[in-house]
Amino acid sequence: MENIISFSQATVEPIMFYALVLLMVPLAFGVIFDRSIIRAGFILIGVFGTISGIFLLLQAQFLAMAQIMIYAVGITLVVVIALMLTNPTLDEDRAPTQAANRLPGFLIALLVFATIFLAIRSELWPMAPELIQSDPTKAIGYFLLTFYSLPFEFSSILLLAALIGSVMLAKSDRAPMKTEKGNAKALAKSTR
Amino acid sequence: MTSSTITREIPKPGINFQLYELGKFIRLSLTWLTIIFGAVWIASWLVGVLLPAAIEQFMQGDNAHFIGNVLRALTPIVSVMVFIPINAMFMVLCERRALALFTVRKGPNRVGPDGYLQTAADAVKLLFKEDITPHGADAIMFTLAPIIFFAPSIFGALPLLAAVTADHPLYSFVNLPTGIFYVLAMSSIPVVGLVMGSWASNNKYSLVGGLRSAAQAVSYEIPLVLSIITVCFMAGSLDVVQIARQQAGGLLNWNVFGGGALTHANLGSITSIVAALIMSLSCVILFCMYLIAACAEVNRIPFDLPEAESELVSGYNTEYSGIKFAIFFLAEFTNLFIVSTVATVMFLGCGAAPLPILDEVMVGTVTSLLAWAQNNLGANFGQLGWLINSLINPTTFVAALWVILKVYSLVVFAILVRGTLPRFRIDQLMDFGWKRLIPLSLILLIAITFLKELV
Repeated sequence: MENIISFSQATVEPIMFYALVLLMVPLAFGVIFDRSIIRAGFILIGVFGTISGIFLLLQAQFLAMAQIMIYAVGITLVVVIALMLTNPTLDEDRAPTQAANRLPGFLIALLVFATIFLAIRSELWPMAPELIQSDPTKAIGYFLLTFYSLPFEFSSILLLAALIGSVMLAKSDRAPMKTEKGNAKALAKSTR
Repeated sequence: MTSSTITREIPKPGINFQLYELGKFIRLSLTWLTIIFGAVWIASWLVGVLLPAAIEQFMQGDNAHFIGNVLRALTPIVSVMVFIPINAMFMVLCERRALALFTVRKGPNRVGPDGYLQTAADAVKLLFKEDITPHGADAIMFTLAPIIFFAPSIFGALPLLAAVTADHPLYSFVNLPTGIFYVLAMSSIPVVGLVMGSWASNNKYSLVGGLRSAAQAVSYEIPLVLSIITVCFMAGSLDVVQIARQQAGGLLNWNVFGGGALTHANLGSITSIVAALIMSLSCVILFCMYLIAACAEVNRIPFDLPEAESELVSGYNTEYSGIKFAIFFLAEFTNLFIVSTVATVMFLGCGAAPLPILDEVMVGTVTSLLAWAQNNLGANFGQLGWLINSLINPTTFVAALWVILKVYSLVVFAILVRGTLPRFRIDQLMDFGWKRLIPLSLILLIAITFLKELV
């Protein structure tokens, strides 16, 4: 088996990387250019899937699996379902963009790109030739609960706030329509 | 003349009739299981042992060695590819016959000897049907959906192969350090295929079915994953082979009975005994919770709301026909098989016998039989002894037998549940998932983590 492993590390890994990128970049463009927003959502799932492939190439199995489970399937699927529920016509968006929206849209996109680009470039990315720890899963668990526990807890607070906010939005009292008012009250009483 | 012999042969309805049908069902299962695992065995032996050996024999040099190793590395994939279609055929037939048994009918018994070939005929029929794409459907996604639904069940189960073959050298390299997490991640993908197919069919019934299935899968995945995580906490590992190995040595070491809490309990202290008892009880509850969540995850009755045929025509696969429908069908039964395998590996001791002595006796018998074959046949027929020896690895053989027994018992149990329970209503389903199962799974997670320290 050793010759297969060495062969895969020397030859297969770069090929796999370019294959993944060749798949990922067109998919990422597809998310932006596809007229049907639901199809764009499904393509986004594909993009996250290929990103998890890159994690796999970097020997970060746990992160790759978490990427598939949480981003590719969990979050994006919920987004797609939300789109299906709010946009039930399933029509493709064929209307051209209004001229007045183009410049602000471009500026916002540029700003976001510049922020992300600068954030990535400002960080030094030291590259170790080998894995720092033999078991990356253990390392992730250890650092999340020791050195990075504060950011970890803060992100959970963010999620909690989002959760409570969505519940507040969903539960907010809408004035029921007059014809249904009596029915709704009767229904509420009967279920109680 | 012939009619009188038939009436004499088949008992009248009643307990005798049921026993007679049960006997026929067991005969059918054994025949089919022999066919399935015989085919898998021969295929993996050809690819993993015979072909590489032949290539290395007749071609010299490094190159031959390399090709041989590539073939050996392909063994897990080949065995899964051979296994899945035959297994799905058997499971459909098994389900129909078992349901017939539970509802006092006879089930399919015309095609082939006693209906053995019914599903083979069904499969051929499905493959030759016209493949229709409905008007207004999104053709690419319509075609992609069955593939996305099915492919993860092939590749997702690979780490389990290392566990169920007791870490056989040909299969040990598919074992990942994050094995069970990989299985869980892969088994979460098919729901994308469901939603995709339901949306692409351009059909309201399909869409409602797909949305229901997505809601159901997302809610029941949480207790499913939490119950598996609890087992991982108990075992202290994500590696399926390691988890399987820790459960060796008898019924009480299986994770379903507390993973050795009862055997390791310190008999001197009362806290330890009580903790061990509570822990084994909570593990039984955990196992039941896993079974419920898995049942919902693979859309089986009582959680088959996505395809509730009396309300939704047939749910997400209404518009599918021909080979695409066949793929959906295949994937559903394969998923049932996979969740049963995960339950076997994580809870039911994988390849370990209920009594450790049983394992020793069986491995010993197989080993001595092999030695006998080696001595007698090898002396007379040259290479034949080597061939037989390469065909059977005693530990793997015995472990695989136990795994087959356990997995198919779980499958028959799922069929029994299907024959017994009515379908949930959608609000009951959601209530049960979010208000009962998820809190229970969190409580069990915390309880077992603390109890493990107390034992």
